[in-house]
Amino acid sequence: MTPSLHLLVNGVRREGAVPPTERLLDTLRWRLNLRGTKEGCRSGACGACTVLIDGRPRLSCLTLSHQVGEAPILTVEGLESDPVGRAVLETFVAEAALQCGYCTPGFVVALTGLLKEHPGATETTLLEGLQGNLCRCTGYSSIRRAVTRLSEPKR
Amino acid sequence: MIRSDARLKARGALEFGVDLDAPGALHGVLIRSPVAHGRLRRVDLDRVRSAPGVVCAIGHAELAELLPSGRGATAHPAFPAAELRYRGEPIAAVAARSLAEARWAAARAHLEIEPLPIFAQIEDVFPDWPGAGEGESEHVNAHVLARQGDVEGAFARADRVVRGKYRTAGIVQMPLEPHACLARVDGETWHVQSSTQSPFGAREDTSAILGIPEEQVVVEASWVGGGFGGKGAGLLEPYALLLAAAARRPVKLQLSYAEEFELSRSTLPSIIWVESALAGDRILGRRVRLLLDTGASLPGRDFATGYAIGFIAGPYRIGAVELEGYAVKTNKPPFGPHRAPFAPQCVFAGESHTDEIARAAGWDPLEFRERTGWREGDETPLGQKVGPFGLQEALERARAIRERWKKELPAGTGLGLAVGFWSTGTSAGGEVLLRLTPSELVVETVEAEIGSGSVIRGLVAVAEEVTGLPREAIRIGRTDTARGPYDAGVYGSRTLGALGNAVGDAGTKLLQELARRIPGRGELRLEVIGGSCVAVRNGSRVTVASLLTDSERATGGVLARGRHYGRGGEILAERVLTGGFYAYTDFTAAVHLAAVSVDRETGQVRVLRYAAIADAGRVVDPPTYRAQVEGGVAMGLGEALTEETLWNASAELQNPGLLDYRVPTILEVPPIEVEVVEGFLGAGPGGAKGGGEPPVIPVPGAVANAVADATGARVRELPLTPERVARALKLL
Repeated sequence: MTPSLHLLVNGVRREGAVPPTERLLDTLRWRLNLRGTKEGCRSGACGACTVLIDGRPRLSCLTLSHQVGEAPILTVEGLESDPVGRAVLETFVAEAALQCGYCTPGFVVALTGLLKEHPGATETTLLEGLQGNLCRCTGYSSIRRAVTRLSEPKR
Repeated sequence: MIRSDARLKARGALEFGVDLDAPGALHGVLIRSPVAHGRLRRVDLDRVRSAPGVVCAIGHAELAELLPSGRGATAHPAFPAAELRYRGEPIAAVAARSLAEARWAAARAHLEIEPLPIFAQIEDVFPDWPGAGEGESEHVNAHVLARQGDVEGAFARADRVVRGKYRTAGIVQMPLEPHACLARVDGETWHVQSSTQSPFGAREDTSAILGIPEEQVVVEASWVGGGFGGKGAGLLEPYALLLAAAARRPVKLQLSYAEEFELSRSTLPSIIWVESALAGDRILGRRVRLLLDTGASLPGRDFATGYAIGFIAGPYRIGAVELEGYAVKTNKPPFGPHRAPFAPQCVFAGESHTDEIARAAGWDPLEFRERTGWREGDETPLGQKVGPFGLQEALERARAIRERWKKELPAGTGLGLAVGFWSTGTSAGGEVLLRLTPSELVVETVEAEIGSGSVIRGLVAVAEEVTGLPREAIRIGRTDTARGPYDAGVYGSRTLGALGNAVGDAGTKLLQELARRIPGRGELRLEVIGGSCVAVRNGSRVTVASLLTDSERATGGVLARGRHYGRGGEILAERVLTGGFYAYTDFTAAVHLAAVSVDRETGQVRVLRYAAIADAGRVVDPPTYRAQVEGGVAMGLGEALTEETLWNASAELQNPGLLDYRVPTILEVPPIEVEVVEGFLGAGPGGAKGGGEPPVIPVPGAVANAVADATGARVRELPLTPERVARALKLL
């Protein structure tokens, strides 16, 4: 029997029958049509599928959908509804901190989670927190510039 | 905003190949060879077909009935009839309702394979450099030999001879998005949407593999999540189309990361010997010998050996040169292009050797390069005249950076310099269509934006320059190979050059056409007023809307077709003794400086600073150009320090995943100083040279030279892992 699943995604309650072995990544992308969360290595090495669970960056490829329980999930599609997420998005756009854009949802979600978890975090803390997100295009240079701006104290 | 795609990409709102979907689409999985070399005795797919959810399973036996009559027997069919040449080679394919069901079913295939001898490494074919006559082998894909001047005599007259043997590793492009496509067959039309760098290239390959006329194959690019050369061929499209034909339903096919590592066709290992005959500070002669692993590449597909080998001779004045190389056939997967194919590896050998010459003689490595480096008008070993080349000016900039770093960095820091050069240019041509509507200018092309910005920024910037319209009024309109004009592909640092020139050509024609409709003599430009495109001539302004003919109003605007097919260079035929060598087009220099610290106990190399000086010709869009240099350097740092495919004696890849094949993380790439030298013009718009590939080329050489500077120990093998550095330091 396929057990029923209840998720809270971007503030909306979703429910349906989902196999117990299904990964959150696949539930989000193919059942809920939230394809902003990108499928990369499916083994926890690239960070492209990062979402926030209970405000913290988590790899949706290594998370079973049934593990999430009541915890709220925030994906890249919900980022604009969050003030920190909005600031991260705006900074990435302003700095063009992307090229092909495939790793970008993972980066902006992870950075949003880091900034929420550690308000006023230093640049070093943020860069350390992004080690699990790989980018093959930018050489991380423009991403660093975005991180620098986001770690500057607000005037 | 720097890039018009930034907002959508940051929000994850664009459709990449992996995001493609269609109602009722099935999921395909390839059934791949478990051995690197063998003869297929039997392929039994009955148990695959009876698995739950399976709609169809196909192998070589089914090709004839799926393809138009007599077409199944192409020279290189999708599935091999008998001989398996590398591990992971597709033998059959299955389509099922879900990916999980397709995977489950694929594992049930019954294969009977007679094992054949496996040639896993170059040394299995040639234990050492082959002597006279020993190079005649069925395991050679290509043999190239070229000579300039009296090489024997140069070595006889030399005061000193410096020799080195270098090894380089296999690497993979590893774009974050794996290959993915969605195929359907509508009557006679074989249609595929794909994450491709070259829709027309994918069409040509698909047509050749399936034996279907090119006009019946339609390829449409999706957004592409990185390419780096790996998405330029028709890799998945033929299989997806065959499954779609068999299932009579759309089929999605996507590689897993493990498959990506095995199938994506990248750089394989090499062994390089360089020896130089010296008199004072002149290089009298140089011999270069190259054994390049080309895997199970098909004969005649070697594009690398006779091309890349020239980069080992370097951009230097050398009295006499001999270049000889073999493309060695092994049972690894086929070799393929990877951002400046094989050039970083060649330049690692060449520039390590250049430093070894300078250090042995006590010369400053930078001054030695200044004295011997090419200037415009010098001659290459193959007799080509060097065109405008920014090497000397870039070296001057490097000197200033080096002096500053010496003051700022602690003692013990190693500083390394390397010079790369590359042939960019516009000889692989293409065409675009410009469509001017009352409110916008659309650049119609088959090409997708793969990330570099060459399409979304480069082509738009050229259209801005030629028409006068602001970027906000210009848009890329992507189309497919059935409707769109031909273009070679987004690769080889040629997009801005060739396709940009085509945009320039189309823009000029567009303005000429409008000028015919507005009386007067002065120059015509376009601008936007209140959201409407307006033509300006002699101070008078006329809306584009009012200039359209009735038929243009119906079809959507004024059309102008632009084309550019550039010329290639020429080499002296008498210099070539055997095999194919290729001419360079725009001579493009890259001069890099690396500052490293080396842990004297572990051999760990840390890159503290990096500077890249680029010979840009003319920079069309500064932020995009800088971003290309930064990204190229980071990719090169991976090739220098960590990236290496590991193969066992059965030619099985041992590390097909990002946990064991390490690409640089954000903390491993230092801030990169980028400087640009302009004025040494190339063939692109306004003199632009290609910018995507040159910045990756000097990186491994610069890092190796910095490690030697820090420690006095020379590592002659890529990548410079802690183990190799520790061995060079005699810690192991």
